[in-house]
Amino acid sequence: MRAFLPLIFLATLAACQKDPIEVRVEPKEDAAAAALAPASRPRGVRWTAPSGWTEAPGTGMRVTTLTPPQTAGKAEVTVIALPGDVGGELANVNRWRGQLALPPIGEADLPNARAAVRSELGAINLYDFTGTGANKTRLVAGMFQVSGTTWFFKLMGDEKAVAAARPAFLKLLEGLQKDAS
Amino acid sequence: MRPNDVPLKRVTDLLSSMKLTLVCLALLMVLVVACTLLQVPLGTHLAVERTIRSFLVWYTPDWSPVRLPVFPGGGLVGGVLLVNLLFAQFLKLERSRRKAGLWLAHAGLALLFLGEFSTAMLQVESQMPVEVGQTKNYSEDTRQMELAVVDATDPAKDTVTTIPESRLRPGAEIVTPSLPFKIDVKRWYDNSDLGMRKPTDPPSEATAGVGASLSVSEAPIVTSDDAQNAAAALIEPVAGGDGLGTYWVSNALGAPQGFVREGRAWRLVLRPRRYYLPFSVTLKEFKHDIYPGTDIPKNFSSLVRLDDPGAGEDRDALIYMNHPLRYGGKTFYQASFGQNDQLSVFQVVRNPGWLIPYLSCILVALGLLLHFGVKLSASLKRAR
Repeated sequence: MRAFLPLIFLATLAACQKDPIEVRVEPKEDAAAAALAPASRPRGVRWTAPSGWTEAPGTGMRVTTLTPPQTAGKAEVTVIALPGDVGGELANVNRWRGQLALPPIGEADLPNARAAVRSELGAINLYDFTGTGANKTRLVAGMFQVSGTTWFFKLMGDEKAVAAARPAFLKLLEGLQKDAS
Repeated sequence: MRPNDVPLKRVTDLLSSMKLTLVCLALLMVLVVACTLLQVPLGTHLAVERTIRSFLVWYTPDWSPVRLPVFPGGGLVGGVLLVNLLFAQFLKLERSRRKAGLWLAHAGLALLFLGEFSTAMLQVESQMPVEVGQTKNYSEDTRQMELAVVDATDPAKDTVTTIPESRLRPGAEIVTPSLPFKIDVKRWYDNSDLGMRKPTDPPSEATAGVGASLSVSEAPIVTSDDAQNAAAALIEPVAGGDGLGTYWVSNALGAPQGFVREGRAWRLVLRPRRYYLPFSVTLKEFKHDIYPGTDIPKNFSSLVRLDDPGAGEDRDALIYMNHPLRYGGKTFYQASFGQNDQLSVFQVVRNPGWLIPYLSCILVALGLLLHFGVKLSASLKRAR
């Protein structure tokens, strides 16, 4: 049995050891680059920014931010990916409507609020809402699931700017592709 | 014979019996089948952990609050088989030159068992996703998380304190000399559902960072090979009794969150556990060859630059299927790819006992050659 003693000792040691807290000095890791690092960035979807648009790494929950030319006013596209159904379609639609100070809608109203865009990923649900008031804000959002992750592509901004960017935004959604990782 | 020797002899007879060998081999066969079937609902890693690399296979019925042992695990069966082999070897096998081959073959088998125990205890698997042109000096374990608390004040470098997932338990207070504040862990979820907060939601538990605009709830863990848990922790840095904000951190959230205190900028990131390497790997080129006229993959290969200034190593290496790069005690296998062939993913394995199966096979082969050689020689002598 003596032959087993080192093995038993190793096993006991491994069981008793607490994972240590470690401290390292590392070269500066760009926060933006870290946000887009392959391990942390949600995978499964690939897109191409429309010509003339700029793309910047996202912050917080955003995977990326796309900005169309700002000639007609301010607008931007935010891309967010979260695991699961993220509360479902109705909850997200009413969240967007809440951002435009619009009243919530019911389940029965969803088909009227929903359009669809075809892409390689399948049908993408599309929603288009415009707020009220003198300076109207408009929101066009695409929502779909890939491998258990819900993706949101949301174009939001001044009504005129969103109207100008909408055709390119729809092309962007139509051009979404599977990322084969 | 002393009276006490009778039960002892029974035990030694049992431990050295061929029947025990056959029972153990049958149990191993059942375990292998069960492990294969369980890979569908549990994924490869968890199925192996629960059947092959455990001493007992546990099951929790729907009606029971406690888990019950239902079958011996691979560790127990393998251990008994090893003991059985050693007892048979020392008690039954003749110690003579004639049997030297069998001694050698049995030693090889024993080494094979010990090698599997060594692999189970010491092997560390991780992944290294690298984009073309990117250099990395660490791999990541996506099954384990760590909280990185980064002092990002210095414009040239970051000081990173990493707290392993095992310490992030609700109620834990993390105090460490490298941080001028403690971290209170309020919640920990192995997997979570993250959603956008609605106006009707109750007040968020997070008071700072992106978590304040999120709803976070616990979700059942996922174990399949292509799924990843969205771990989440609700944490509060506290300095001198003052809370510095409560944050939801999650590996499913992209960019890091942080705060500034007394002129120092801090970032909080929950990320896959990192294993740093004393060398770096740069992906120079990734090739995804297909058979002409089809989409059928023919070959995946990654051309990497290996740079280890400490060892004076600076060379290219080609990693492709069944041709890993072995360096610095790690083995880099071509595992996956993505991002329109701009991303290559390596499986990085550290297994100090990786040579043991090869040595044991050599020992078994030499032992059998010697044994049959001796037998052949004896037969030839008799034939003359």
